[in-house]
Amino acid sequence: MACNTRNKYPAQVFNNENHRLNLYGDNVEVDYRGYEVTVENFLRVLTGRHETAVPRSKRLLSDEGSHILLYMTGHGGDEFLKFQDSEELQSHDLADAVKQMKEKHRFKELLIMVDTCQAATLFNQLQSPGVLAIGSSMKGENSYSHHLDSDVGVSVVDRFTYYTLAFFERLNIYDNASLSSLFSSYNPSLLMSTAYYRKDLYKRRLEEVPVTNFFGSVMETIHTDAAYKALSRRNSGRFEDEMSLDQSVHHIERRMLIKVNDGYEIHDINPEGEEGASKCPWSTFRNKFQKAENVDSLVNYGLVAMIPLLVISTWLVQ
Amino acid sequence: MAEISEAPDSDSSKLFGSDSKAPQRPDSEPEFDPKLMRKTKPGLKRLFLTFSVLFSFLLGFPFLWKSVEIYRSPLPFREIDSLSTQLRSDTLLFPLHFHALFVGFDSDPDRLRWSILSEITKLTSQNPKCSDNYTLSVTVDLGSRCLRGRTSSPHSSSYQCGSVTGGDFVQNDDVAVDERLASVFGGKNNEYSMAVVKGVSERAVVGKYRHAWMVVGDGSDVEMAVVKVAEVLIKVFINGGREEGLIRNEFMPVGADGKIVLSFNLLNADPHDWVYDWDFEKIDDTLLTPMIEALGPVANISVESQVLYHTPKASFSYWNQKLESYVFSTKDLPFFVNSNEWHLDTSIAAGGRSKILQFAVYVPSAKECPLLLQLPNGEISKTNGFISPMWGGVIVWNPQGCLRDSEFKPSAKNIIPIQDLENMFEVFIGQFRQLFGFKSLNVYTGASGDWNLLPSERGFTEWELDVLSRQHTCFNLHSCATTLGSLSRLVQSLPRMIIKDEIGKQVKLSLEAAKLALSNASSGVYESSAASSSQARSLAEDAFFHPSIMSVSYYSFEHCFAVYSPFFLPVSMHVVLAALRELRRYKQEKAKYLAWKAKANTAT
Repeated sequence: MACNTRNKYPAQVFNNENHRLNLYGDNVEVDYRGYEVTVENFLRVLTGRHETAVPRSKRLLSDEGSHILLYMTGHGGDEFLKFQDSEELQSHDLADAVKQMKEKHRFKELLIMVDTCQAATLFNQLQSPGVLAIGSSMKGENSYSHHLDSDVGVSVVDRFTYYTLAFFERLNIYDNASLSSLFSSYNPSLLMSTAYYRKDLYKRRLEEVPVTNFFGSVMETIHTDAAYKALSRRNSGRFEDEMSLDQSVHHIERRMLIKVNDGYEIHDINPEGEEGASKCPWSTFRNKFQKAENVDSLVNYGLVAMIPLLVISTWLVQ
Repeated sequence: MAEISEAPDSDSSKLFGSDSKAPQRPDSEPEFDPKLMRKTKPGLKRLFLTFSVLFSFLLGFPFLWKSVEIYRSPLPFREIDSLSTQLRSDTLLFPLHFHALFVGFDSDPDRLRWSILSEITKLTSQNPKCSDNYTLSVTVDLGSRCLRGRTSSPHSSSYQCGSVTGGDFVQNDDVAVDERLASVFGGKNNEYSMAVVKGVSERAVVGKYRHAWMVVGDGSDVEMAVVKVAEVLIKVFINGGREEGLIRNEFMPVGADGKIVLSFNLLNADPHDWVYDWDFEKIDDTLLTPMIEALGPVANISVESQVLYHTPKASFSYWNQKLESYVFSTKDLPFFVNSNEWHLDTSIAAGGRSKILQFAVYVPSAKECPLLLQLPNGEISKTNGFISPMWGGVIVWNPQGCLRDSEFKPSAKNIIPIQDLENMFEVFIGQFRQLFGFKSLNVYTGASGDWNLLPSERGFTEWELDVLSRQHTCFNLHSCATTLGSLSRLVQSLPRMIIKDEIGKQVKLSLEAAKLALSNASSGVYESSAASSSQARSLAEDAFFHPSIMSVSYYSFEHCFAVYSPFFLPVSMHVVLAALRELRRYKQEKAKYLAWKAKANTAT
């Protein structure tokens, strides 16, 4: 959206018509944009099934202790969310992806926030434990945008998103706001829809869970009590030694970048193996065809074979 | 067509009059009823035509089926299930052998053995996943001769009588005693030895290899010694000095492909104040390389380093007049790492499934220097650092003399002094051990007393490496089994998903590696079992996370049916109906002919 040619302020997305906050600012990292935003890529990110060449910044590098926030906004309806005006994410696909994530321990807790029409239907089919989901509207209700920015020409923010952002702008770093205060801050008359949340899969009580559990990229930390003092016994004079020539050569050898593809011998296996199981005579013919370097001679044979056909047909016509 | 064939009959009946019931023919043919009889044999051409069309359809059906068939490499589902049940039912047993040596005591070795075993059973916690199968042998050295206790293990004790005397322990040099005992005991892969000696000063030390010793005073009795021996055997040698023996997943920072990348970052918060650099290669060669080699069986570790600029932290600190420095507390630690400005994860050598551990040295700006960490009890931290499990660690290093800024004139580029760098790396190694769950204090405080733990130059002592190997083997095997189980369930639930050959090969190799790891583990070869188990897990993860197993890309059988049926169903219906109709007509005509023949025969 920010780099859409119809955006009057290129690479800037505001949350308010006063243009105070640029949501696409310097510190925002966008990994998938434009045509890469597809249902398949979204499910690949969730389940972790990428091609080997996909860089780490485009992967979800989570483990069994991670808390994940999934915030989706756009157009949607009964059990679906619209992607790029041409495809849909269905609720059972999302539930299946979450189930696979849980089986592979890719998260400990997951918060799904959806801001679309009939948003609560999108997480109807979820079954995995540890998931908390909130939608901006229930089945049969619409979600509305907040206000229109006449300068840019479109509505800049939806109501649910606007009130969520307002809640977080009111907090400072040491406030211990809980998720239940966030969920109860949504006023149905202001939202013009009912924000519905689902906590049957989430074991903890919402009053005890701080919002920094999911927001703010806050880390669990443990203080380091002591250093490992084995090395202070060594002579510190070792470090002042000049590196001898052979030592430096040895050093250079160790500096070489480790090849990433060491363990991936399996990927070098001939892909022809897959085709071997399909119809055998066809594949051998194709192999012969491919091996036949002289394609021209084959064409000549074909042309020669067509001549008797030509003769017969002309004789029949006469 | 049927109408045309009947038309001449009806025409002929019309020719002979409208009465078609039973026209009387005055000719030789008696009672010829064209509706029930016919004179000529019915032809087979029509039947042949329609049935040839039907048969061509039937003949083409296998070709159609083969063309819409999808390729699924056969996965060994039964073997996957048997691996899962095997790991679930019989807990993985690592065989261990303990040897206790008592010097200067006059006791019966069998009685000692029995009392040590009873203490051990009191201490052993129930570890459902992986446990250890230990045997114990006791030797009492009386100087002149040795009393060896009955032992159930096949290990014959290689201890030479009289090699260890009380005089060895008189001097207080633990390292020398450790080396002496190492030459006596040998320290093979799964044997742990314990020496209890009567001497002058009380001391209890766990060495760098696979033995420990205890010097008890003259007055103490054997029972106290027995309790301490049992405690060190179970709590230290088996559990590694940690509280529970259970495997906590957050202390397994090894990537799914068995690799760890250690990324060292020097962060200059504000380069306008000062810029620091470090001589990383020296430290890498001398301090890090031995540790990386020692951890070879557990993980394949590589090291990278970078220096970053303009990296302020995200939390706040306040000026403390008493300490004359800026102080931040443990409450600020979760917010310290500023993920917006610290671009740490820029490794190009790390694959998608490796684990990257970030170690960052934060050099504060002049506005916040010196920066100290205050603990909740009011003390200042000695290390000025903290870790985040599965992420890495941070140390705050304050440049010398930053407070007296009139005297401190930073040059364009400063190098961190070697002594500071060495101290910093000791803290790093402490943090690295902490990420694996090991403490770095040199004292283990047990229920029955304190033990000194000797540190090793390689960062991990031999018995700690054993604990890691066992723990990782257990974790990797269980992870491999659950991954393969999930894969088999997924594959069976989507019958129309293509399974490539690559996946089948990876599953097969993973199962082989898992079997090898299990057999190695039960025979006590820890290093190779750890290596095979990490290979098994890495192959299972490769198979499960293969990019072609995306359920959204494959159509269900109903979809396939819905695509083909609008073409084939109407056509096949017509063909089958035509064939049936022709068959019925043929049968009717045949019956008519036979009836006429019968009539003609009876007439003649």
